[in-house]
Amino acid sequence: MIQKKVCMVGVFGTGKSSLVQRFVHSLFSERYLSTVGVKIDRKSLELDGIPMTLVLWDLAGRDKHEDITVSYLRGSHAVLYVADGTRKETCDQLSELRALARDAAGDVPTVLALNKSDLVDSWMLTPDYESALAAEWEIVRTSAKTGAGVEEAFLRLARAAQAPKRAQS
Amino acid sequence: MTTTTVRVDAFGQTDIGLRRKTNEDQFVIMTLSKAAELRQTSVQDATVFQELSGQEGWLFVVADGVGGHRGGELASKTAITSLVQYIGRAVSCFSGVDPDGEHQFLEQLEGAVHEAHRRIFEELGDSGAGGQGPATTLTMVMLMWPRAYVVHVGDSRAFFLRNGRLRQLTQDQTTGEFLMARGVWTEEQARKMPIAGALASALGAPEMKPSVGLVDLQPGDTLLLCTDGLTKFVSDERITEVLVGAGDAESACRELVEAALAGGGGDNVTLIAARMVPG
Repeated sequence: MIQKKVCMVGVFGTGKSSLVQRFVHSLFSERYLSTVGVKIDRKSLELDGIPMTLVLWDLAGRDKHEDITVSYLRGSHAVLYVADGTRKETCDQLSELRALARDAAGDVPTVLALNKSDLVDSWMLTPDYESALAAEWEIVRTSAKTGAGVEEAFLRLARAAQAPKRAQS
Repeated sequence: MTTTTVRVDAFGQTDIGLRRKTNEDQFVIMTLSKAAELRQTSVQDATVFQELSGQEGWLFVVADGVGGHRGGELASKTAITSLVQYIGRAVSCFSGVDPDGEHQFLEQLEGAVHEAHRRIFEELGDSGAGGQGPATTLTMVMLMWPRAYVVHVGDSRAFFLRNGRLRQLTQDQTTGEFLMARGVWTEEQARKMPIAGALASALGAPEMKPSVGLVDLQPGDTLLLCTDGLTKFVSDERITEVLVGAGDAESACRELVEAALAGGGGDNVTLIAARMVPG
């Protein structure tokens, strides 16, 4: 069975664990529990008839006390960056996080999930800002609450991890 | 991965408490080592061989049995002995440099927990649909410095202390947590429900879902594994205070057990403290 390590990276409270919960267990809760260290889950799927397992490393988010621990990213086959569309500052740190992650993981496929897309009234990203992000990132708007975009984000990564050269060309 | 070395100062203790007739908790601390000593080679750059010498891992496990007529005591004992046998037989020391090897290693640790679950059913009987038979929690940390791998079932806990801040590595697998994770209960509702503390997942129970995680430790960190006989009677603030102030793992354990007894001692209390002393 093909196994691919996918790391979830972002600032604290952007919904990384909620995206994993939605994707793996089809669950959502409003309750916030900060991740300590790394929580590991697995999701088996089939891509073009080929079975594979995504091993999802849900990393503690960057907060005022601690930065992300880059050693967790070593050996990743793909990285899912997560930002909170209702907190623009979580997007402003993406370039820095990507530089840190690249040092450890190398140039692996990435997707940026702009999460909490269900919170339309609180959305802080203007169309111009999102367009600027889209020039640098492969973006998927997601909502762990409704499930919108969640499967798409992970499947895009899975596909890219399966054929990394094609995905990065 | 850092090449810093530490000395691990580890100690475990269990106490029956003040109200129970039997102690249904168990714990184990073990070291696992794989030594490969280079005697002679024609290879000029022999660093790869040196990396294999003296790999050492530490295994820490606490288990809290539940079930009457000594069932809980037997369940926790069966879980720990099965786990140690499986790990001794099937789990290799892992150097932490190969991601595929790391996933295989984690699967082996989970496999050890599943085997222990199966052994409890086989040796102590099926708990049946009502889930009234012998069962046990199990919280295991395998430390392959600096990485601590955590496999957890039930409501015992693993923490680590860094720079005076206590962080909980595990999430309780109780009915309350289970329903809050599904958005069925709020925290306030869970606090009012007597069944919120019931185990939703345990070895020997109808549901057994290990959660898996890890953390990279640093020199100066302290790991703490404990059964709920500590956390129900001693606050996180007091636990932090003791761990910060204790001169060694043994005195930390003794002081925490005293605190649990002073707090009521309503349950068996078991804990392991492991200090990462800068080497």
